[in-house]
Amino acid sequence: MKDFDLEKLERKNIYTVPDNLFENIQEKVLSGINDFDLEKLERKNIYKVPEGLFDDVQQNVLNGVLPAKKAPIFKLNWAYAAAASVALIFGATFVLNSNDSSEATGSQAAVASNEQKPKPESEIAYETLKSDLTSVENSNQTVVNQNVESSLTKAGENREQKTVTQTVKLVSKKEEAQVNEYLDSFSNSEIAELASNSTQDVYLDLYN
Amino acid sequence: MDAYQSRLYWHIRRIIVDGDLAQDTLQETFIKAYQNFHQFKNDSQLYTWLYRIATNEALQQINKLKKMQKTDEDPEYYMQNLVADNAESDAEEIQVLLQSAIQSLPEKQKLVFMMRYYDDLPYEEISKIVDMSVGTLKTNYHYAKQKIEEYIKENYER
Repeated sequence: MKDFDLEKLERKNIYTVPDNLFENIQEKVLSGINDFDLEKLERKNIYKVPEGLFDDVQQNVLNGVLPAKKAPIFKLNWAYAAAASVALIFGATFVLNSNDSSEATGSQAAVASNEQKPKPESEIAYETLKSDLTSVENSNQTVVNQNVESSLTKAGENREQKTVTQTVKLVSKKEEAQVNEYLDSFSNSEIAELASNSTQDVYLDLYN
Repeated sequence: MDAYQSRLYWHIRRIIVDGDLAQDTLQETFIKAYQNFHQFKNDSQLYTWLYRIATNEALQQINKLKKMQKTDEDPEYYMQNLVADNAESDAEEIQVLLQSAIQSLPEKQKLVFMMRYYDDLPYEEISKIVDMSVGTLKTNYHYAKQKIEEYIKENYER
């Protein structure tokens, strides 16, 4: 084999092959296409579909179809609007006026209540006792009594209260004078008899 | 709505291909159906009427898409790419080829083929939906089928 030359070697395939191999392959390839029948192909949907697609569709359709809740819209009738405006103006004026008058009445009532405010019982008793003590003095001492009273009353009392006190004082003086006149009309014996029967009443009068 | 939404969705999806757009179109179909229900005549079936609305809505969307896309881009090529993008990853090649072949058809042939092939609608009902005679529909279906088979043979050999 010293003279072996690869180029001179015969090119041969030594593997066994089935008969008509290439004819069969060609036929198979062509028959695969030629026998293709569209009607026999399976009907399939090959596209990707997102999950919950039809739920979303239904919801969106309902949202698109159902009317959104809107605030009721009223048609503005100019006649009604004008009438309402006039009524509002009159109503507001009436209310404001009634408030003013009630405020005025209220303030007057407050003043009156201040004026008619009853004095404390102790003060009245004190004044009565004082008037009893001064009743023996003559009627010209009224001014003096007023001075004494003003000195006795508290410094912080206002002028209105003084006026009220003075009025009460004058009334009590008048009553005393009437009582004195009434007593003078009795004789001594009658007074003694009355006094014996009404000792307790005299004491009670002192504290009233 | 439950009875028709799935069939209508797939009818729209096969025309439009894009998922979001198909969903919007389905919603619009139902809303229009609700709003115009007084126009529904009892002489046709409800699903026929709904198919008609859905088809019109889908075609409107396709026309909008065509207007929006670039002038130098082939609409057929664009739709075939859309098919490849929207197909499931494990979808069979022959099925993807079929959808691409459908997108290569003229509009009327496409509609007739899809309603007949997938939804198995009678020609009489399809006639009411697309306003074409039964004879024309049969011819269109025949040509559509022929074109699709040729398309698949050509592309399958490669």
